[in-house]
Amino acid sequence: MSTIRIRSAASYWLAAPAAAWMLGVVVVPIVLLAWVSLWGGRSFSPASPLTFDNYTRFFANKTYLQLALTTIGHTATLMAITGVLGYCIAYFLTMKVKSPAWRLILFLAFIVPFWTSTLIRGIAWVPFLGVNGVINQALLFTGATRSPIEAFLYSRTGITMAQVSLYTMLAAGPVIYMLNAVAPQLREAAMTLKAPPFTVFWRIVFPLTLPGVVIGQVLVFLNVMADFATVATVGGNKHAMLPNLVLLFYEGSQHRAASVVAVLLMLCMLIGVIAAMKVVDIRRLGADR
Amino acid sequence: MSMFGWKFRLNLTGWVLGTLTVVFLAYQWLPILTLGLLSFAGPTGGTTFPMNGTSFHWYEELWKASVMNDFKPPLVRSSLLALACSLTTIVLSVMAAQAMRGRFRGNSWFFYLMLLGIMAPGILVGFGFAIMMRLLGIELAWNTTTFLVQVSWTLPFGFLTMLAVFNRFDAKVEEAALTLGASRLTAFRRITLPLIMPGVIGAGLFGFSLSYDEYPRSMFTTGADATLPLAVMAQLDRQLTPEIYAIGTTTTVFSLVAVLLCTSALWAMRRSTSFRST
Repeated sequence: MSTIRIRSAASYWLAAPAAAWMLGVVVVPIVLLAWVSLWGGRSFSPASPLTFDNYTRFFANKTYLQLALTTIGHTATLMAITGVLGYCIAYFLTMKVKSPAWRLILFLAFIVPFWTSTLIRGIAWVPFLGVNGVINQALLFTGATRSPIEAFLYSRTGITMAQVSLYTMLAAGPVIYMLNAVAPQLREAAMTLKAPPFTVFWRIVFPLTLPGVVIGQVLVFLNVMADFATVATVGGNKHAMLPNLVLLFYEGSQHRAASVVAVLLMLCMLIGVIAAMKVVDIRRLGADR
Repeated sequence: MSMFGWKFRLNLTGWVLGTLTVVFLAYQWLPILTLGLLSFAGPTGGTTFPMNGTSFHWYEELWKASVMNDFKPPLVRSSLLALACSLTTIVLSVMAAQAMRGRFRGNSWFFYLMLLGIMAPGILVGFGFAIMMRLLGIELAWNTTTFLVQVSWTLPFGFLTMLAVFNRFDAKVEEAALTLGASRLTAFRRITLPLIMPGVIGAGLFGFSLSYDEYPRSMFTTGADATLPLAVMAQLDRQLTPEIYAIGTTTTVFSLVAVLLCTSALWAMRRSTSFRST
């Protein structure tokens, strides 16, 4: 007995407002985008004939295709960097830090920036990366370089540097959660049976934390694929990824072209998420604990 | 290989990972701290070092700004919007999580529907919603359309928080109240709600900070009157001055204080509840 009866009418009514909200604001608009991307003709109205012309036009343009490939390549780079870095940090925080106070302090130092604006954190990289930026000033001061390096601001290197600082937390968070759930007895048992430390990690700890790694990778993938704001602030107008193209078309009132890019972006993300779900069953997470 | 060799290598791993972690923390914090430092640059200071003295010049500029770059109205709008999103998130996510306890038919679909709100990129949701409003002929405004879209972003986070809270919740206390003759509504209000209060505050915090910082969803769905992130981006497009650093520092401090207050509230509540149970 609890305050809600199993399969009662009340449970439907309680879920209805949230369901209606999500359907109306998320599902319907996305379906609408898919529909709009097929509109032909000259006027922007539901009466337009349906055609694949908008897609043909997109795929006929080499620049756009190049842009799509760049976006995917860039996202893969970030997944690799944040994945390795995030796992190392997660492992250190949960397994290597013995003092609870230090663990809390380091943990907070790691996650607190996540609660502030991503936009502002992106902007904060601008004074760092410029020709007269902090990094170049430091390099010149230490004598590591004689002339300032121009490759930071308005470049993919700069975008990557900023995004690594923004999204490593997403890769590490789920791993920290999974590492905390690994029973210490398992490691002790393996150690007692004389398994070397690396074998204990590779055969016992890592497989148990794999779902966390995959979820972290999905989060980084989704966020980097859709992050146009950091690309715009740190990359300037010189660099664009797929989501920036959506914005560009939208500002030029080319709603159908923008919809095409939006649909393609959504498809990429869907494929990514489905591929990840093949490895990890999200519904079973936490179920066996 | 001797035990000594293992111990040595384990220590070495610890040192390497520790150094990496500390370097990353510096990497993550330095830009934020630099932003804060540069916001106190002198009146002739540029957007990077040297600061040309220290002053409150850029905060003063911020305060007595002209209509073009006045951040006060956007700040008020963003705060009100965040408050509204926070309250809506609290009410709807408690309802939705309570509904999940009723294991109604189609509850796994409902779960995925909520998850979609987190997965779907903001730029697509915002763009799609703007197109929908255009076709329906509905005017865009920060307190109507932006509110609708932002709740679809904050609600799933509140929902997941409440699900986690109810997973650890012991229904026996409710059972006791019901056996003693309390109605389901009274039992929920007097027993369940006080016990899940820390989670409710957490859901509210998610709602507030996610809405307050939201940019992509607002970008397409806000009319002429901008929210704070939109105003910041518009100013960045016009000119990069230490004024942006000043507004950035202000909102970052604002976010940090909000997190600090809520964390201490949660901590205090957990302490008081654990006191009662012993």
